[in-house]
Amino acid sequence: MTEILRTGASGRTSLASLTGSGQGVLGILLVVLCLGISAAAPQFYSEANIIAILRQCALVLIVASGMTMLVIAAEVDLSVGASLAFVGCISMAVLNATGSLTLGVLAALAFASGVGLVNAIVVTLFRVNSLIGTIGTMMLLQGGVYLFTREAVQNHHQLASFTALGAGYAGPVPIPLILAVAIFAVCAVTLRFTTIGRYLYAVGANERAVRLSGIRSARLKLVAFVVTGLCVGVAGLILASLMNAGQPTAGRGFELTVIAAVILGGTSLSGGSGSLIGTLLGVLVLKVIDNGIIILGWNQDLQMVVPGVVIILATYFDLLRSRHHAR
Amino acid sequence: MTSITKLLMASVAVLIATSAQAANMPKKIGYVTNYATHEWYQNVIKGMKAHAKELGIDIEVQDANLDIAKQVSAAEDFIAKGVDVLILTPVNEEGVVPLLRRAKAAKIPVVLEGNPVKGMTTLVAICDYDTGYNAGVEAGKYAKDKLGGVAKVMNVGLPLLSATVLRSKGFMDGIHTQIASATLVHDLDGGGNPDRALEVSAAALAKNADINIIYGINDSSALGGLQAWKAAGKSQDGLLTVGTGGEGLAFINAIEKEPSYRIEAAMFPEKEGFTAIDAAVKLFNGEAVPEHIVSPTAPILGDSWKAYYDYDGTTRTIKWAAVNALKPPAKCMQTSADLKK
Repeated sequence: MTEILRTGASGRTSLASLTGSGQGVLGILLVVLCLGISAAAPQFYSEANIIAILRQCALVLIVASGMTMLVIAAEVDLSVGASLAFVGCISMAVLNATGSLTLGVLAALAFASGVGLVNAIVVTLFRVNSLIGTIGTMMLLQGGVYLFTREAVQNHHQLASFTALGAGYAGPVPIPLILAVAIFAVCAVTLRFTTIGRYLYAVGANERAVRLSGIRSARLKLVAFVVTGLCVGVAGLILASLMNAGQPTAGRGFELTVIAAVILGGTSLSGGSGSLIGTLLGVLVLKVIDNGIIILGWNQDLQMVVPGVVIILATYFDLLRSRHHAR
Repeated sequence: MTSITKLLMASVAVLIATSAQAANMPKKIGYVTNYATHEWYQNVIKGMKAHAKELGIDIEVQDANLDIAKQVSAAEDFIAKGVDVLILTPVNEEGVVPLLRRAKAAKIPVVLEGNPVKGMTTLVAICDYDTGYNAGVEAGKYAKDKLGGVAKVMNVGLPLLSATVLRSKGFMDGIHTQIASATLVHDLDGGGNPDRALEVSAAALAKNADINIIYGINDSSALGGLQAWKAAGKSQDGLLTVGTGGEGLAFINAIEKEPSYRIEAAMFPEKEGFTAIDAAVKLFNGEAVPEHIVSPTAPILGDSWKAYYDYDGTTRTIKWAAVNALKPPAKCMQTSADLKK
């Protein structure tokens, strides 16, 4: 157990360890991408484009922060995209009915964390594999949102504070980015410097050992599922604000982008290892590729192809590196 | 002749006419849609049900939910039940060909909605190119009047589907009739959904924000483009947003609340459903029908949406008299076959 905790806590970032790790490779890849795209299209490093990229990163980073904790605990949540759409519809409906931002936000967070709780119960109590269980939740939510509303829930309240959530700025910085950084920082500190964070690594690495040492692994996983849900709640509010409507069709494929960023960032799907810095780099790489393809005027079909290739290569190189270290 | 006699004779005439009409009406129509969760199809179904009820026809609707196997099985169930006419919105144009053969063998006429299929009798659909073209003409006039005769377009398109490619092509061709120098600055794949449209539009605007017209192949795409514009902190002064479809409430909300959203290429899904029922009745009666029955579309400018719809804040109701008065073209200006040339 002590050994496991040491493994989890030993990720303190130094330049030397970073360059020798998957994160280092990812960092270099990010720099190369940015330099290459900038050389071909100088608009890439314009202020407007950097803000656009960071705003796009914000939504993914918020949910990926929670998802990283979950994947480290050796679980996964495929319902985040469907939940994102549902959250937008619910929050917009509550905002329309009450005209209160506080109630709208509370409704979004309560619903999304409720989804996280249900996922946790399915996985920890019913012992359903999280991959299968959360596919079930995803289908429930995708169908359920149409029972809730057949049409997009339009913005009838016109609250300026709600519009600012997605499209507003604090000085030159977009508000979604500030929220993303705050959530990322809380998750990073929790994962790195708190007992819960260390236990999450331990649960992912060897759940049986954790249980034998008297720690309730189910409760830790429940926390990770609910935190992921809360992150979806925040992201759903931002997306609804950005789109000025609760869209039942939103968020399709969002779960794959989030999980791709987490895996690309070096977090192992089998749990026990990974870091939020890696996830941040993963999000940036995926979004820079996405943005670069448009800036360069390439065929947009490549927006699916290129990240797919990058993920396969990154995972393969990470596997090679792991084998090398194991020798 | 006394007034009572006149009244009696008139009543008899009405009764004879009604019974004659009822005798020529199919009793039951089965409709297999491809994706009932989409607002477009919800309104197509609404139009079908309203018109079927008016004519005393029982209509049953099944949703294939984008699954061709499910569509085939639902249609086979309808054939087995002995519906009088079958209406299909094909999930897959190749996949429903055997179904048409089976329906023919069972002597059940089939009306297709939306997409053509080899071996079909008739198709009820809008003209996508014409829809975009007419909106483009209006956008050109608007740009001449309000935007200093300059037209720099960001097309939030969907290159995957020939229908949406035709809309975008029509829009640019239409705008060129008014402003020869109109340019297509960005030609984007917004995936037809609002979040993707928002994302790609944000990147495109960061690359080059020197545009003054946003065109979306559906309402979600137009609104995604507009939201990206707003998120970039830009004013809507000097901007025109043009949506396509008018399938739900989004365009009404946008016209009412977004100063730049001034043109909607409305496609009246309820009318498409209405027309499909009319076609079904004609086929049932053995009448000759054209291979493509065009359902009308029209560019709606600003508040003129109120001429076609009532809106109580939660639901919209079509004004049949106004929409039925629209004259569809006998033939589309361009079809998907023209894209292959």
